[in-house]
Amino acid sequence: MLIMSRRQGETILIGNDIEIVIAHIGRSRVKVGIRAPREMAVLAQEVKMVSEENHAAAQAPSPAILAEILSQLVPAAHTLSAPSDEGSVRQEAGAEN
Amino acid sequence: MPEIETTNFGTISYAPESIFEFPNGLPGFDERRRFVPVQKPQTAPIVFLQSLEDPALCFTTLPIWVVDPQYRLHVTGPDLEILDFPANRQPRIGSDVLCLAVLSIRPSGTTANLLAPVVVNLKNYQAVQAVSPESGYSHQHPLFPGRGAAC
Repeated sequence: MLIMSRRQGETILIGNDIEIVIAHIGRSRVKVGIRAPREMAVLAQEVKMVSEENHAAAQAPSPAILAEILSQLVPAAHTLSAPSDEGSVRQEAGAEN
Repeated sequence: MPEIETTNFGTISYAPESIFEFPNGLPGFDERRRFVPVQKPQTAPIVFLQSLEDPALCFTTLPIWVVDPQYRLHVTGPDLEILDFPANRQPRIGSDVLCLAVLSIRPSGTTANLLAPVVVNLKNYQAVQAVSPESGYSHQHPLFPGRGAAC
């Protein structure tokens, strides 16, 4: 990996049409400005991870697997001191047929 | 009440006011913007998020405090704006927002995405999957640690 040292306000060019500006350097994070062609996706890595995870998650589990999850949840649910407002949230969220 | 045909639940009816609106969709599903929560007594406390635009698209979720009773929200500024909350404080789970962890079910074990919970404003049902890089939470949090946990 190429490592470059840059100060606030300085720029890095990638190819002819990508420009990366170090916009602000804070104590624990930097703000980076990116100028790139519209068709080029610019994403935080975490968003890509979540996108992949969502694709893995986007299927309803089989009844057997659901039953397994639920059977293991029950003891955990009992140890929850069931915050009283959580119950109302569940009710509000309900769109039961 | 309107009805839709779904792959997983057959025909379901839903209250129009119970629709969760994701103005930007979810990562990987940018065009899927309207979901209804489906709960069944026999699968409580699981909340299924059924897409109104794709009959086959359904996420399996749990209220985040069922997964981690100590969970703390870290919603970023742009996501707070989508949810219509002020930028200066985090919404409270339970009173301000519904917070759901999306489950991934794999042969190696079930994990919950704590890096990016689904957050729903309880006042207007605007919703976002809030990717929270600074929270330090994992996108593959083992649901049952110690039982062949994934990764």
